[in-house]
This record gives sequence, structure tokens and C-alpha cells, in this order.
Amino acid sequence: MADEEKTMPEIPKGQPFIKTEMIDPIFMMQYDACTRCGECEKWCPALDAKDGDRKYSPMNKISRFREYMGRSYGLKAKLFGSKRLDEDDIQDFADAFFHCSTCGVCATVCEAGINTVDMYEATRQQLVMRGNGPYGKTVNFPKLIGEYRNPYLKQQSQRLDWIPDDVEIAEKADVAYFAGCTAGFNQQVLGVCTARVLNHLNVPFIYLGEEEWCCSSAIIRTGQPHKGDIPKITALHNVEALEAKGVKQVMFACAGCYRVATIDWPKQIGRKPNFEVVHVADLLAQLIQEGKIEWKKSFDNKIITYHDPCHLGRHCGVYETPRVVLDNLPGLKFVEMDRIKGLQRCCGAGGGVKAGIPDMALDIASERIRDAQAVKADILSSCCPFCRRNIGDGRDSVYDQVGSTNYDLRDNPDNEMQVEDMIVLVAELMGLSTKIKSQEEEEEKLDHLKDKV
Amino acid sequence: MSDFVYYSGIPSFVVMLGIAMVAIVIFLVGMYLNMKKWGNGSASHFLSVFLKKINHEKYGHHPRQSLLSTIFLDIMLQRRILRRSPFRWVMHMLIFIGWIGMFVLSMVFAMFEMLHLVGIGNIDLNVTRNSLDFANEILGYMLLIGLIIAIVRRLAISDVSKRTQMFDWVLVLGTLVITITGFMAEGFRPDAITGAWTFLGANIELAQAFALFHVTISLLFCIAYIPYSKYMHMLAAPMVILVNGGGE
Repeated sequence: MADEEKTMPEIPKGQPFIKTEMIDPIFMMQYDACTRCGECEKWCPALDAKDGDRKYSPMNKISRFREYMGRSYGLKAKLFGSKRLDEDDIQDFADAFFHCSTCGVCATVCEAGINTVDMYEATRQQLVMRGNGPYGKTVNFPKLIGEYRNPYLKQQSQRLDWIPDDVEIAEKADVAYFAGCTAGFNQQVLGVCTARVLNHLNVPFIYLGEEEWCCSSAIIRTGQPHKGDIPKITALHNVEALEAKGVKQVMFACAGCYRVATIDWPKQIGRKPNFEVVHVADLLAQLIQEGKIEWKKSFDNKIITYHDPCHLGRHCGVYETPRVVLDNLPGLKFVEMDRIKGLQRCCGAGGGVKAGIPDMALDIASERIRDAQAVKADILSSCCPFCRRNIGDGRDSVYDQVGSTNYDLRDNPDNEMQVEDMIVLVAELMGLSTKIKSQEEEEEKLDHLKDKV
Repeated sequence: MSDFVYYSGIPSFVVMLGIAMVAIVIFLVGMYLNMKKWGNGSASHFLSVFLKKINHEKYGHHPRQSLLSTIFLDIMLQRRILRRSPFRWVMHMLIFIGWIGMFVLSMVFAMFEMLHLVGIGNIDLNVTRNSLDFANEILGYMLLIGLIIAIVRRLAISDVSKRTQMFDWVLVLGTLVITITGFMAEGFRPDAITGAWTFLGANIELAQAFALFHVTISLLFCIAYIPYSKYMHMLAAPMVILVNGGGE
């Protein structure tokens, strides 16, 4: 590296070594606003997962970038030219920058009020443009979403495949259900339960079907929106398609899509859409408070706790309605874990971490499981398919260690904690089927076979 | 007493003014470079984005609070710090009020000095200085106590000590030097009204030279150095809070 540097041409005077065209001027200023109080270090889940290695500390990342900027744009750089930076050092910095779930707890506790999430995403974009990111499989997101309109390599014609025969989708209604790719393809139980619950509550809704495109959250979070401008294209498409249907409300059960619709769509298209963005928890809480929900089943005195998804809670401020719902489910005692609401501990899946750095995602999720165990929860519920999946993986990882550690469950390993989305629990207690189409078809086949036998 | 043309004991106001001008120019150059850096090569681009965003609509469920609430609760009272750590809030407020207060009083007295020099009003500088003495003393002690807490905290608390860099020490120790030399400059100087010497001095040349030294390093460290150091957070943090709409 040292020899290479010697032969590399000097950077022309006035030209910075790291460019910043993707970073908003306000975000650039934020790098100079850090008071280095260190509060962020107390809360950062990535730093915890990395055993306190300060390379991953939010404060340290901010300091490093400010230093780079100083060398590229400071007085000395103006007088004598921008200083060449060690590429290994920049890659090391990028490595730290992508080991972050962009949960935003550092922004919540920041004394200087720095909006870290947007600042990190913009800086990631700059790093990606430089060739210092993204990580792992996340590099494929723009290509997949650009080509297939979803990250799961599915055809758009398969968008309707998850809908069971008993679900009624209206031709015209005031409400649209935006299922999202994960509920539509990968965790269909969420889409199925949401649709059945809406049907059961007599809330007619339309569904875009093949016209629904990925919200592109994964591209934005991983600093790749400039690649083909996909988030802008998908935002425009989705908003225009929903507006063309004349809906007044768009209902989401996925925290990731909800965050994009609430915060990113207006930014991408330069205006607020002509419809209200609603999370299904808001609707359910309202109906519960109005006494309009009748439960058909009950749990057997179990303890339930709630994990705030970052995208729903900290990013969008939806804290109370999921709690109202869970607190009212029959046969369940609702308890709070340590670190909730604005100070919630992230599950570790966001910011491209689950796809790009799965080991770290698992470590963070395991911590969340321990939080739930500390309050003796039988069920850990959330409102986000990514939290559900990652915390579920974290639970499996923690339970795998039962035999080799002093873990509490050694005494009762069968008492496995259930990790489930709020909407699935609601559907179950309403007495609705939570089986997805393929399960039902499988059962039908089996029944048919039994009849034959 | 007539030898003390300037309240701090400097015989020539012109020297004082010259140093202040140099400090302000260095400060402005630094601020220009910072704004250019923030604005992707254009200071005016930064300014236009900043002004536009102070009132832009925030998306999501965190509504923008009123500008006055932000200025009073988040910038002046620094409630974000209070919410996280009352101890750190006390420390920070002591430094913040001490620093800003003494800066304002220095500006006020410099203005009186200028009015006196150009002959506007019948200003007795010694009386004016004396009337500001108590406030200066209180603010000076607030700053000193705040800085001592900051230093002890950085040395005694293991987590804080581990993350402390030279970047942090320069600010704290530099401000401490300014504060101590301020007390010493006062100690070297005769009383504004009685003309009695204090315990530190009976030498007018030494008193003048030390006052000049104190004022020079104060101007260079507390004004000129701001855009090039951690001091920058004093300006950038309130600006960020304003743009991001404040709130806890």
C-alpha cells in the first residue's frame, strides 16, 4: 500500500479526497455538531454486539468522518491540497459504518439532536459511490428490485399467489392494503392474517396486486438509492397507482413499508401523497377502544411483551397503539421489557444488517431475547416481519445454547418462547384461520388422500 | 488610574482592537471554509439549504415544535442533556452560562470603551468596570467550577476517560488556561475605584502585560479557534437543533 501511494498522483489543489455530493449540507454540518458526550455509546446495539469495540461506536464514526473532512476541506487542504488518505483506513471506516442497523437510538439520545439515521444513509451512499460498500448480499438489492420489483426473485404475476380463496378483496374501497414483498412472498402468514382480520372487521380494502412494487426500503437503508434511482421510481409508481384507485387510506402491517410510505415517499416524490398512511395497529386499537372487537379464543394466562420495531416506533412515533392491542388480547398479561419505545433495543435486522452481516444481526437479536426472558415472557410480539424473523432466529440461537451454558431454560427447555407478529395473534384470537394458502392446499390434498384410502 | 485606558489594563485600545480584528478575520475564514465544506463546495448553497430547512415540513410523526420553544427549551435550557444526565447538564450549563455570559459582558464593556474613546456620553470606565465586576466574578467562578467538573469527570470516570481524545482535552484545558489567566489578570490589576493593589501585584507594567496576554489568548482561543476545533459544536449544535425541529 505504501509503495502504491508513492506512485499515485497528487490530488489537484482544491480537489477533496472524499467527495460529499450525496450528503445533504445539513448532514455535513451535523458531523461538526457532535459534542462527544458519549451518550450514544451507552445505547448502541451494534457496539454491544461487537463487545464494545469502539470502532463501531456512533461517536467514533462521526469523529472519523469529521477528521477525513478536515483533511479534505480544512485550511491546510485549501493551502496545500487535500491530504491523501489511507484506503485501508477508509475501508475500515466503511466497515464500521455498515455494521449499523440504522435503528436511530443514537439520534434519540443525542444531546446535539443529530439526525443520525438520514446522515448515516447519505454517508453510506457516498461510500458506496466510492466503492467502499455495501455489504454482502445487499449489493443485489438494486438489481433485484429494479428488475423484479421485489427482492425475492419472484415474478410480479406471483403477487396474488398468497391470497387464499376465503379472502375478499374489493374492486373499489376507501382503504388499500399495501402488503409489501415480505408478507406477499416470504412470510405470507402476515398478509393472510391482515387480510382476514380486515375482512372480519368489515373493512373493505383493495390490493394493488401486480401493480404493487417493492417500497425499496432495503435500497435506501443500504446507501444505494443512486443505483438506477429505484426508490424514486418505485415511490412514484406506488403513490400514483394508489392515488389512481382513489383510496383515502393505505393500510400497512409491515413496519419497513410503513416507514417508507410515511417518511421516504414524500421525500422521493417531493410531495405528500393524497392518502393517509395507517398502520393496522392504529385501526385495531381504535376498534378495541370503541368495543367493536369480539374475541373468540383466549390464551391460557400467558405473559406477552412487545418489541417496538425501529421503523414503526423511533422513526415514525407509533408506540401506543400496538400496546393497546396486545394489552387487550384475552388470556395474556402484558409486561414491558427493559429498553422500550424511544430507547428500545433494536432487533438487529435493519439497515441491511440481516442480509449483509447476519452474524451481527443474530447477536443483537439474542440480546433482545434475553430482555424478554428477564420479564419471563412466554410470547414476544412485534409489528414487523423483519423483527419477527430476526428475533425468531435469535431465540433459536439462544435456545441452541441451552445445553452448553448456564442459561435459565436448562431447567425447562420445552418452555420455548413464542415470537409472533401482533396481527397473527389477533387473527388467532378472533378465531380466524392463520394458515396460508399453500398449507391449506396441502391439507386439502391430505384430506383427499385420506378419503381415498 | 488614568494610565488604565482600557478596563483590562491595556494601555492602547488600538492594540486591543487590532488583535480582535485578526481574531475575527481568522474566525470568519474558518466559518467560510466550514460552510463551504458543508455545502459541497459552496457556502451560499449551505446557507440557502439551512434557511430553507429551518421551516421545512417534517415527515413522520415527530411534529416540528415552534421556533421559540426550540430556542428556549432546547438551545438555551439544553433539555436534551438534562434528560440524559442531570450531572452533565449542571456541568455543561455552568460552562455554557459562564462562557457566554463573560463573552457578552466583554462585548458590552468594549462597546462602552469605544463610546468613551469617540466621546459619546460621559462614561466613567472605572465605575462601569466596577459595576460589572460582581457579574464577572460569578460567571468566572461558574466557568471555573464547570471546567473542573469536566476535567475530573474525564480523569475519574473510566468510560469517559477511555473515549477522551486530544480533541477534547485541547478545548477543556485551553478554556481552563483562559479562565485562570483571567483571574490572574484581575489579581495583577489595581481596584477600579480605590486604586488599591491586590495581593498579586504592585507593578503596573506587569499588570498591563499580563492583561494583554490574557486578552490576546482569549481572543485567539475563544473566537479565532472556534471553526477549527471542538468549539465548533457551540455553533453547529444549536443550528442542527433548529433545523431538526427541536424536541426531546
